[in-house]
Amino acid sequence: MASADKPINTDVPEKDVFALHFLQSLSNLRRQNAFNSPDDTTNNRVKKIKKAAYVSMARAAGGTNRLWSRALLRRAAKENNKVVIFSRRKKRVTWLRRSNRRDPVDAERLRNLLPGGGAMETSKLMEETAHYIKCLSMQVKVMQCLVDGLSAK
Amino acid sequence: MDLTGGFGARYDGGQEATGLESLHLGDELRQLPPDGFTALLELPPTQALKLLHFTDSPSSSPQAAPIAPPSFASNLALMERPARFSTEHQQNGTNLSGETTTSSSVKTEPAETNSSSQAVNNRSGKRKDSDNKPKSSTKKKNKSSEEKEKLPYVHVRARRGQATDSHSLAERARREKINARMKLLQELVPGCDKVCLSDTKIQGTALVLDEIINHVQSLQRQVEMLSMRLASVNPRIDFNLDTILASENGSLMDGSFNCTAMQVSWPHQVIETEQPYHQHRQLQQPQQWPFDVLNQRAWGREEDQDHGNDHNSLMVGSANLHPNQVKMEL
Repeated sequence: MASADKPINTDVPEKDVFALHFLQSLSNLRRQNAFNSPDDTTNNRVKKIKKAAYVSMARAAGGTNRLWSRALLRRAAKENNKVVIFSRRKKRVTWLRRSNRRDPVDAERLRNLLPGGGAMETSKLMEETAHYIKCLSMQVKVMQCLVDGLSAK
Repeated sequence: MDLTGGFGARYDGGQEATGLESLHLGDELRQLPPDGFTALLELPPTQALKLLHFTDSPSSSPQAAPIAPPSFASNLALMERPARFSTEHQQNGTNLSGETTTSSSVKTEPAETNSSSQAVNNRSGKRKDSDNKPKSSTKKKNKSSEEKEKLPYVHVRARRGQATDSHSLAERARREKINARMKLLQELVPGCDKVCLSDTKIQGTALVLDEIINHVQSLQRQVEMLSMRLASVNPRIDFNLDTILASENGSLMDGSFNCTAMQVSWPHQVIETEQPYHQHRQLQQPQQWPFDVLNQRAWGREEDQDHGNDHNSLMVGSANLHPNQVKMEL
């Protein structure tokens, strides 16, 4: 029933992986003609960049191996009316645990924050949060570097 | 006296003390006039004294072992039966060894814990091992950790004063899991240790959760802020991507960051323009690239449109260099 998972693996790839993915997505954005023309409002551009940042982070960090990245990619694909193809290496059954098993630790706010957090058990939620925090901080560093590099010109 | 001798013979060497005492008492008793009645009473008093010694000694000395064997043997037999059943269930020899060690340690414990642990062991269908121990010794913990490593199932040891039914055990295992992850998160979030430093290492879960949530929210806000800045910066540079990358290269190379391993590979990269795309591929870590083919075409297209051959090589070199730069600096 309970599995002995002594090593909790929350490894995150190096910064350059994140950088690469983000730059690729940015370059894709630039190739869109609607993006570069001045009639595109700043808000839209911001939203697109933000979404590109998240998607690239999800792809760089775990791809489809992590629950939160999977949920993020699915959400993004739904917005673009695309379909995400997941390669399932092992059969994955996600139970929606609405039972009373969450009594001691109520992490509802965390669930709302984390993409795809609604369907996870609490221990899994914690693990995903740790990985998510690491990836977010890495993405922030990459974006900070980019902004500094661009604005210092 | 013969009986005392007989009694003495039944014990280990440690029993000689009581044997001598009994002999001493027997001597004392022999000093009494051997009346008919007292002659009859001689033996019973010595036996009674023996029995008194018996009842005294088990609490103090290891001479209780000889007395214990009859009852202990039955207990051991009872213990081994569920052990055998559980091994049938689990098909694992380590479990039996665990059981036998626990049974051997149970030797000096009262019988009630034996029966209760038996009852729990009989419930091994839940695949959890639990023993009531009067005290948790490090040897036991090592054994349980060994079992945890070997078997795919978690072996939970119930501590003193805790319930041993399967539900609470599962709950406890789950809670321990959650606590372990909470600790991990605590180390990850900066400033979480200072939330309540005085109390314990693991602070109240609500406070830690709040801290974690705050951190995640701040990170998300940072991403949004940076994306806004990027969006405002981007339209000012309406060159194509290559010049942007070149400018980034220049600014990044200016040493706004500490690059200890800064190789001067500019000329090196510029020279190698024969197979730029292969270079590009080799520099990066092997990952699935959805944009890979698109990018190559894009780069080629943009270069052909805007720049000549020299610029072409430069730009390609810069494009190749950029991820390398990033790798070094970040």
